[in-house]
Amino acid sequence: MSFMRTVALTAALAAGAAGAANAEKQFEGVELKMLGIGDTSVTRLAPIVGEFEELTGAKVQIDMFPYPGLIDKIIIEASSDKPSYQLLWVDSPWVGMLGEAGALEDLTDLAKRDAEEIGLKDIVPIQLQENTWQGRLLAFPASGMIWSTNYRKDLYENADEMANFKAKYGYDLAAPSTWAQYRDQAEFFTRKAGDTLAGETLEKDFYGNAQAFSRVAGAITHDYFPIMRAFGGDYWDPGTGLCAMTGEAHVKAAEFMKSLVPSNPPDYLGLMWDLRTGYMERGETALSSYWSVRTVRLTNPAEAMVAEKGLVVGYAPSPTADGAPQPTYTGALSFGINSKASDKEKEAAWAFIKWGTSEAMMRRFAEEGSGVSQFRKSILSDPDLQAKYPYYGVLLSAQENAKRRIFHPFYQDVEENFGIELNKYMAGETETALEALTTACNAVNSRLKIFPEEMRLRWIDDVPADVLKD
Amino acid sequence: MGYIQRRNRRIFLIFLFPVIVALFATTIYPMLYAGWLSFRNYDLAKPFIPRVFVGWANYAEVLSSGPFLHALITTFKLMAITLSVQLVLGVGIALLVTQKLRGMGLVRTLLLIPMMISPVIVGLVWLFLYFPELGYLNYFLSLIGLGPVSWITSTDWALLAIAIADIWQWTPFVMMGTAAALQSLSPEPYEAARIDGNSRWDVFSRVTLPQLKPVLVSLMFLRAIDAFKIYDIIFVLTKGGPADSTEVISLYIYRQSFTFWRMGVGAAASFVSLIIISVLITLFFKSLQRGQASKG
Repeated sequence: MSFMRTVALTAALAAGAAGAANAEKQFEGVELKMLGIGDTSVTRLAPIVGEFEELTGAKVQIDMFPYPGLIDKIIIEASSDKPSYQLLWVDSPWVGMLGEAGALEDLTDLAKRDAEEIGLKDIVPIQLQENTWQGRLLAFPASGMIWSTNYRKDLYENADEMANFKAKYGYDLAAPSTWAQYRDQAEFFTRKAGDTLAGETLEKDFYGNAQAFSRVAGAITHDYFPIMRAFGGDYWDPGTGLCAMTGEAHVKAAEFMKSLVPSNPPDYLGLMWDLRTGYMERGETALSSYWSVRTVRLTNPAEAMVAEKGLVVGYAPSPTADGAPQPTYTGALSFGINSKASDKEKEAAWAFIKWGTSEAMMRRFAEEGSGVSQFRKSILSDPDLQAKYPYYGVLLSAQENAKRRIFHPFYQDVEENFGIELNKYMAGETETALEALTTACNAVNSRLKIFPEEMRLRWIDDVPADVLKD
Repeated sequence: MGYIQRRNRRIFLIFLFPVIVALFATTIYPMLYAGWLSFRNYDLAKPFIPRVFVGWANYAEVLSSGPFLHALITTFKLMAITLSVQLVLGVGIALLVTQKLRGMGLVRTLLLIPMMISPVIVGLVWLFLYFPELGYLNYFLSLIGLGPVSWITSTDWALLAIAIADIWQWTPFVMMGTAAALQSLSPEPYEAARIDGNSRWDVFSRVTLPQLKPVLVSLMFLRAIDAFKIYDIIFVLTKGGPADSTEVISLYIYRQSFTFWRMGVGAAASFVSLIIISVLITLFFKSLQRGQASKG
């Protein structure tokens, strides 16, 4: 059924393309360059951009860089009067920073104009909201993200492990729904070389958990903020627009992360996103929560040994403090258009975005076996695809009760200050979580306080996206 | 002024002109611009913040900043470790390679290789060696039942790990300078010392070392300047972490300028560090001159 639908969609796309081709390739001679990331939101598309050139005549070159340092390049690019890149890869927390600086083209009217063609109503609404600044759509989702839990299902379903766990903790071993359970399970599965795990003698140490604790590019904050959210905390004081991450929920979240340290690899202070996910991808940890842009690698044997080794991974929503539903943080990895590009380039760039994020393209990726953290309801709810990618169900359901990630113009200050202070706390250099969080908050507030309150409140106001209005 | 003198002067200016232009474009103008920037509130990422003149505010902020002071202390700690080890090792190896033994020419050439490698590559090489789970160092340690050591991910080890990489790269520089100086020493004092029946240590400490002192001082001076602005190796290996254990001055300046985009504060921090190193070097030379004068 889904195959037939893909064939139909591809045919429709090809027909449209043929139409475009007949119109003597609308963008012949246009050259577009994208400043992008070397991650699944781009790597799936990069090898096939030649197809877009065949359809439209526009030549696209995608330059891929690692995440740390990418925003620096984008900001330098945005501050230039003569841009080298017309297409910019955008992580949703950067939208406020780039939006307030006027670096991104407003896509609202284009998205409304082409609503049918882009299947606007098919997109998970929060994914569009993630890409707005003051209600205007500044980037278009290429990958939708949630922060969720991945666990070694084969271990969780092992009879010996289940019995031992129940004997020790007094409840059944299952994907954690509370942070207390998460810590129990991390502790339970932490074993030394020579110990037994699921009936096998371990040749090397096995870690119950792997989280990102590194300060580099604020990696630790990318785990801390979702945990803080799941404890019920938030970033800003709604009355003043200043940093408010020193409350009980924030402290508890930091203390919880620190309590995971004994279950993490000894190099925990240097665990960046990729190193942390590497433990899960090699099957060397029992559970690890992270952003779904890397979860998708777990079903691809070319990217994760866990699939090749025949180990089974389970997927679950992020736990909460008490197990009761708590809005989870979403994220979006998106494509934006440099506001300083020429009108012709902007048109071609929008055509490229539509092509690269279309339902047909997303379905093609899914059916080819390249996992993508999808953002379209029709794909995430497709039963055949859900069977192939078990995390689709989690991705879809978690976004029903989701909250937008940070989108502040001073995001980099937040990420960097909290990255360093939390890392110092995890390293034992700072005595208490409150001290670490207060230092970071003060550093952020020292910059924010010089702005009028009205401006600060505008920066934290999540104005509903115009494109979502009927 | 005669015709020939005038012509020579013209030729002199013609040859000098490209150098002056290059120097102005690459050093003088950027420095003047940085000076101008250091008195302004200039945020590259936030054009909505007025880029106004702020007087000495950026300097005041840097000088009263805890992280800046911490970075300064870390820089001096790193300098103390690297310079002292490079001095001892460099002199020791130089004494060895200046012996008239077979193959010493080749050994000397091989020892120079680390110095010829770009610091970024040195950082990457050591990253492979230090890598927590898969690094060669921990592998070799495990063969003798030791480790693993969290070389670059522990606050106890990271600065030392950086120092080891820097020592590996720059000891050959000290060795090379010292070896050249050793080979140019006059043989007479050595013959006199041998006739007097002095031990090897006495000869080294009373004859060789005093003669080497000016060269060693110059080498340490050059190394000190270099070590004060160390950046590449740290950026590749730790980026200032874990916690703030390897955050040196250059990393602090980088973060202010290219993470927080506060170009004015970054420029002010650059000038403060330039003044600090200039003052220290001047004091160092003054004390050396006093030492020489008192001997004279």
